[in-house]
Amino acid sequence: MQLIQNIAAIAKGMSITFMEMFQPTTVENYPDGKGPMKGAVFQERFRGMHVLQRDEQGLEKCVACFLCAAACPSNCIYIEAADNTAEVRISSAERYAKVYNIDYNRCIFCGYCVEACPTDAITHGHGFELASYNATNLVYRKEQLLAIAPAHQGANAMFNASEPEKAKAQA
Amino acid sequence: MADATQNVTLTVNGKTITAAKGTLLIEACKQNGIEIPAFCYYPGLSLQGACRMCLVEIEKMPKMQTACTTPVAEGMVVQTETEKVVQARKSTLEILLANHPLDCPVCDAGGECELQDMTYKYGAGESKFIDIKSHRDEQQWSPVIFYDRPRCILCYRCVRVCGEGMDVWALGIQNRGQGSVIAPNQGGKLDCEDCGECIDICPVGALTSSTYRYKTRPWEMTHTGTVCAHCADGCITTVGVRRSDTGSEIVRCDNRDRSGLNDDFLCGKGRFAFDFASSKERVTTPLIKRDGKFVAATWAEAVELVAARFKKAGASLGVIGSNHTTNEENYLLQKFARTVLRTNHIDHHRTADYPSFARAIASSKAQTASLKDVAAASAVLLIGGNPSEEHPFLAWQLRTAVRQHRQKIYVVNAAPIKLKKQAAHFLQVTSGKEGEFAAAFSGDAAALAHLGVDTARFDPFTAALASESSLLVVFGSELRGAGIDKLVATFAPKGAKFLCLGDYANSRGAADMGLFPDLLPGYQKAENSGLALPQMLDAAAAGTFEALWVVGANPAARHADVNAFAKPFLVVQDMFLTETAQHADVFLPASFAYEKAGTVTNTAGDLQRLKKASDVHGVKPDFEIILRIAEKMGADINALVPFRGYTSADAGQSRGPQSGEADRNAVFTEARGLEAKTSPLDPTITLEEIAQTVPGYAVSRLKLLAGEAQPTTLVQIDPAGIASHSELIVPARNGLYASGTLGGYSETLRAMGATHRAAEPVGAD
Amino acid sequence: MKFSDQLEARFAGMITHYPARRSLLVPFLLYSQDEYGYVTDEVIAELSRRLEITELDIRNVISYYSMLRTKPAGRFNVQVCTNICCLLRGGEEMLAHAREKLGVQVNKGITPDGMFSVEEVECIGACSWAPAMQVNYTFHENLTPEKIDKILDDYRSEAAHK
Repeated sequence: MQLIQNIAAIAKGMSITFMEMFQPTTVENYPDGKGPMKGAVFQERFRGMHVLQRDEQGLEKCVACFLCAAACPSNCIYIEAADNTAEVRISSAERYAKVYNIDYNRCIFCGYCVEACPTDAITHGHGFELASYNATNLVYRKEQLLAIAPAHQGANAMFNASEPEKAKAQA
Repeated sequence: MADATQNVTLTVNGKTITAAKGTLLIEACKQNGIEIPAFCYYPGLSLQGACRMCLVEIEKMPKMQTACTTPVAEGMVVQTETEKVVQARKSTLEILLANHPLDCPVCDAGGECELQDMTYKYGAGESKFIDIKSHRDEQQWSPVIFYDRPRCILCYRCVRVCGEGMDVWALGIQNRGQGSVIAPNQGGKLDCEDCGECIDICPVGALTSSTYRYKTRPWEMTHTGTVCAHCADGCITTVGVRRSDTGSEIVRCDNRDRSGLNDDFLCGKGRFAFDFASSKERVTTPLIKRDGKFVAATWAEAVELVAARFKKAGASLGVIGSNHTTNEENYLLQKFARTVLRTNHIDHHRTADYPSFARAIASSKAQTASLKDVAAASAVLLIGGNPSEEHPFLAWQLRTAVRQHRQKIYVVNAAPIKLKKQAAHFLQVTSGKEGEFAAAFSGDAAALAHLGVDTARFDPFTAALASESSLLVVFGSELRGAGIDKLVATFAPKGAKFLCLGDYANSRGAADMGLFPDLLPGYQKAENSGLALPQMLDAAAAGTFEALWVVGANPAARHADVNAFAKPFLVVQDMFLTETAQHADVFLPASFAYEKAGTVTNTAGDLQRLKKASDVHGVKPDFEIILRIAEKMGADINALVPFRGYTSADAGQSRGPQSGEADRNAVFTEARGLEAKTSPLDPTITLEEIAQTVPGYAVSRLKLLAGEAQPTTLVQIDPAGIASHSELIVPARNGLYASGTLGGYSETLRAMGATHRAAEPVGAD
Repeated sequence: MKFSDQLEARFAGMITHYPARRSLLVPFLLYSQDEYGYVTDEVIAELSRRLEITELDIRNVISYYSMLRTKPAGRFNVQVCTNICCLLRGGEEMLAHAREKLGVQVNKGITPDGMFSVEEVECIGACSWAPAMQVNYTFHENLTPEKIDKILDDYRSEAAHK
């Protein structure tokens, strides 16, 4: 009797094991997955590396108001402002950020800068590969943070495609 | 106006307060800690009643009243924060915001904007207006002043400060009602003194300056109150500094916190001409001349070379000091020259006859005036000088005193200077004879003839002057030697106070610290007199001098013979390769006033503290440079700066939540002379020595450290043996757009000068 | 600058009327405008000197009052009232008609020959006879488009005869 009970228990346990073998995998296949995210999947609200957005004309949205730097609890944002001229127009307002650095050694991804931004210029993207052997590489410059194109032209598609279905639709 | 002898009692928000009769309600409330908001009201300016923000409810008055135009009355019952009042202010804000753009993120005033603060407080953030805001492009009115029309809330502060405060009247209001605009006087351009008071006083960001606009935000800067580096008035300026790749960059100078003598006043030079600090022409590494060309060197190399050559030169060495460097540096320089180099050949560019002034004051036991006394004086006699151009703050004080308490100004001048307009009496005399006024006043007919004034004009002037019970005598560099003696002797018995006008930020300090061949610190006679500046240069040109050491001066700008600089081994400590520095064998890059600690003395003898505001990599304060040379020459450092090898005590944390502790310790110990002296580079040790050796400099350390100007006196000086050398005085005559050599390297100041009257500096330094 | 004899006489008379010199400014600007057609830069400079106030102050005053102008008007300045009474009785239509007839669309605009200028003004005190307009200092009331045509033609022929 004891034996049968033991066999039944093993069978029950193994049946769950066998059943799970045919279920779809929930382990993320990073970094061997397909697409630009290499298999990494994020919730939409995931706060990754910042993206400096552009407006419909392709101009930088950032007007160098320094509010992100003021809001930043870890003091990791450094900005130098300059004014737009008729010849060189970088942003739509009078001023633009000549230098915009985020020090990812210090950034805690709290999102206060995004909250503070009056022009929705800084957003959290889904960039997350921020490891480096050299700490100086972690100071990201404006050129590294800028979106390549305005949002309506799909610059952020990769970040918005957080769910697998969306990713599939994109592919 | 307020009458201090009578008080009235009134009730504000249920609290009983007392104020002098005639005080405005808004001021009475402020004195008692009750804030009433206002845009158009500004203390010291005429009343406007334009903004309607200060409305309050007063019992028995049917409608709300403007607190800024209502004087207090006995038994008044006032409510300043009722629902009705708050609603009225909210509506006012809503109307002000109707056309005000929502560009706070890019506006220079964002973060220190009064309209922003009020909107936060009263919450008129949402507008009921649906019309499109009228936009106008920004206008540039002058090299430094920009006007953004839609941001303007028409408070008229700029118009009033320009007219009443500066007596320039360059701004006005055109059109009416909603179409009103602030208009400059030259059809879209300003012809004014570019003082920037309008920018400073603007409650919003309508008026902005070219030096600051769109560069940074107020909270991004560190602010340090220090003493202005330009003229001899010694205004306190709050320097706003941002870190940059060269150390730090000065982005703004103003005095919004009203610290110091000058309240919130600054002239155009003080406000805008700081860009020389980050000029491309600034030298930041020591240079040694090899084969006629400057080669960059290390500090060690350069100092070693200088020390070796100075040792070789012995007493055959001339030292030219500066009227920009601090008292401590000047004191150390002359001490080093006299005790280590063993030379009395030390001098500086003299812009006023301070030795004669000291002698006259000490012999007559007369009082010197602090700049604080000017505003309070009931009558002022101004002989020579042109304060509106050369001493803007003094002129501001005189104008303010005339406007606010009908000060009487008696002007004696060779030209109809701008202050003639405010003068109660004006006397135009022959140029160069201003010194004879005192003799003529005492009844000397010959002197009167020299003045070139007939008795019909002279007698009423002197009669009115003689009837003044208390008098402040201010005189310019036209008066020298015997002229000063006679002036002081004439007016001292009447209890007058005296003020002698010189030209540069620390001209007075250089004189007090004994940068003279024949006078030691405190105008004490030296045993052996050395050569004065022109003779020194002649000797150098003749090849008699082995070496010449120029600290922060530019004598080549006034002395034509280049041999004087080419022949000796020339060491120059300066910021730029000036005319003099071009000939240098060794150039040592020095920091300037905003980059070091120490004290300076303004032309009235007020001692004030310089605080280090900014920094530039590579340069060193003159104090340190002098000590480094001394050290390499094998001099006893402890004898030069008696730091006595004290060790530092743990003064508490300097960072983190307890950071105040270190400051409190520092203030307490420094004020009592108890500071742990750790380094000979600390100039406060020299200040202590100055306080002991220079008569009149033993002032309150606590007040000095707290940032208050401390008047020094000349009465205790020994007048014996002070000789007049009137011929050595070369006034700089820097106008509003010149500041010696420094000004020449300020692009902003050059641009300001180019669009206005041409500045005519006679001699640069 | 010296004003015309008549204007100089006015100035000399008026300067004694007011306790403060600058009080003379507004009436004198009106007289000089009648004389020269508008307030010229020379008049402003001269008044600034005589009254000891800045030119900017004078320009501030001129810009406040819409009846003072610093640019020439036409020989006949047609001022059509569009205030409430005239408005109710067709003032705006009269203004539109006058503008169309003279081919002047901007406010205070002048015809190419410099003969007429058209200006929209506030109440000219002829409410009882609205709609009304004023040409230089002459009133024309109870206007109709036909009446305006006739008035303007009359002025044109009057000018041609002189």
